[in-house]
Amino acid sequence: MNNNRKQLIHDIGITVFILIVYFLISLVIQNIFNIQSISPMFVLASFLVALFTNGYWFGIVAAIVSVLLVNYAFTFPYFVFNFTMVENLMSAIILIFVTIVTSTMTTEIKRQEEIKYQAEKEKTRANLLRSVSHDLRTPLTTIYGSASTIIENYDALSDEKKLDILNGIQNDSKWLVRMVENLLSITRVDSSNIKLIKNPVVIDELVDSALAKFKKNYPDCAVELSIPDDFVVISADAMLIEQVLLNLLENAVQHAKGMTRLMLKISVVDSKAVFEVIDNGCGIEKYKLKDIFTGYYKTDDEPSENQKRCMGIGLSVCEAIIRAHGGEISARNVKKGGMIFRFSLDLEEAENE
Amino acid sequence: MSNKYKILIVEDEENILKFVTALFEANGYQALTANTAELGLLMFTSHMPDLIILDLGLPDFDGIQFIKAIRKDFLTPIIVLSARSGESDKVEALDTGANDYVTKPFGSAELLARVRTILRSSRHSCEEGKFPGGKFTSGCMVIDYDSRRIYLDDAEIKLTQTEFNILALLSEHCGKVLTYSAIIKEIWGYSDSGSIKKLQVNMANIRRKLMLKPGENKYISNELGIGYKMKNEND
Repeated sequence: MNNNRKQLIHDIGITVFILIVYFLISLVIQNIFNIQSISPMFVLASFLVALFTNGYWFGIVAAIVSVLLVNYAFTFPYFVFNFTMVENLMSAIILIFVTIVTSTMTTEIKRQEEIKYQAEKEKTRANLLRSVSHDLRTPLTTIYGSASTIIENYDALSDEKKLDILNGIQNDSKWLVRMVENLLSITRVDSSNIKLIKNPVVIDELVDSALAKFKKNYPDCAVELSIPDDFVVISADAMLIEQVLLNLLENAVQHAKGMTRLMLKISVVDSKAVFEVIDNGCGIEKYKLKDIFTGYYKTDDEPSENQKRCMGIGLSVCEAIIRAHGGEISARNVKKGGMIFRFSLDLEEAENE
Repeated sequence: MSNKYKILIVEDEENILKFVTALFEANGYQALTANTAELGLLMFTSHMPDLIILDLGLPDFDGIQFIKAIRKDFLTPIIVLSARSGESDKVEALDTGANDYVTKPFGSAELLARVRTILRSSRHSCEEGKFPGGKFTSGCMVIDYDSRRIYLDDAEIKLTQTEFNILALLSEHCGKVLTYSAIIKEIWGYSDSGSIKKLQVNMANIRRKLMLKPGENKYISNELGIGYKMKNEND
């Protein structure tokens, strides 16, 4: 609603502005050069209005106003309306006709562009859906198949074998749980009508909660922590930022091959809290770095058979969440090996009690 | 056989009911089941279980109503099973009288640990309202309620009055998640716009004095956006 009104005001502004400018220019030209036929100037004005506004109506209004202006001010007899002269009437009709045609054309072009944009968006969504469904199908196959195997061959399987299969079920369900958490987060962030629940979040409570959950999933992976001693509070959706931290840590565990140190570093710079997840693993090829946060959407060229535990949608989710908070997330390789993921969030504004 | 803890599970999802029942029976509890809130209340009054596991989304009436019905006359601990959908449901359930919550999907170890913690502390606090000897012990931390002192590895930790009160409150409800508003009401008696901040600052001081590092916090768990819970380190 609000957007429509803004657009309307914008369009009216442009129409009035262009007409006034052309009127003034025409006045000047007429007075200096004494040129008779000013009407082509107004064809151009109407054309520009049609180009920069939405729909036909502004173009047509501009054309009619132009006709009246040209008739009134710039054709003989000056400063009188006169439609009795044949050439005046002719130029008026031509002007309106040209304007309607250009309006129609520019509107059509705009509509095409919109359709193209929507199609592009739809394609991204479809790609994401396709990849996600694929990723969901793989663990589901394990779970479904393993459970049936045990039920149907209960006596034939050794206890050891059964335990082995059951472990597979457990691992793949855990993976599914995390996947679904991510999907829930991304739908919450993506749909524009749902607002983030921003609350004051104490950094060390956030980090404590995130690390506790991380340790539950990866009990053997130590995380070195560097955190300010001060009482730092950010304004954020705690659950979502916790998800970002978990995803980044998990990403390091699964992809930073040869990693021996994993570090979470938080510092306060200006009025922002800067979070860094640093590993000393293998890093990533430069050409992939560019797409690291969106790479998931573009798996067209590579069959994702071996990608199940690859990028996942984890990093895309991180990017979406941080963007929704008005922050930025970046990834870069470190010279000595490994990667740094960094994002920053606003500190909570000082209380005004 | 008869001194097994009785646990009532109220859950309408049959598969969840099945595995939770199996889990408790395998771990030496007696499991009672109900798939509607009405049946749950009936089972409660006839069996007097020691603990209730309650799903918040029941077909007949709201889980919150169920908690209210129980809390009118009984202090039986309640663990709520909830979906992730936001903190407000959890806060409401906890403020109505639930002791703890477990977010679906959950692991068996997690559920068992919570049940153990709650049963242990409710056994104590039901007797005297206090812990034996007027002391609370968890890991290397000892809270002496009579002398109002706290020891960590036998060394006394200096806390302010408010900090001590908060810690004592959490420990008296060990295993129970106390919401921000519940703690604020108990400690300051009133709440204003700065209350949560005041509580968070006090908690930060407590953590610093007890040298609780993020991620290695053995005693107090931070339930983001909800409140705090004293953990029992013996779990």
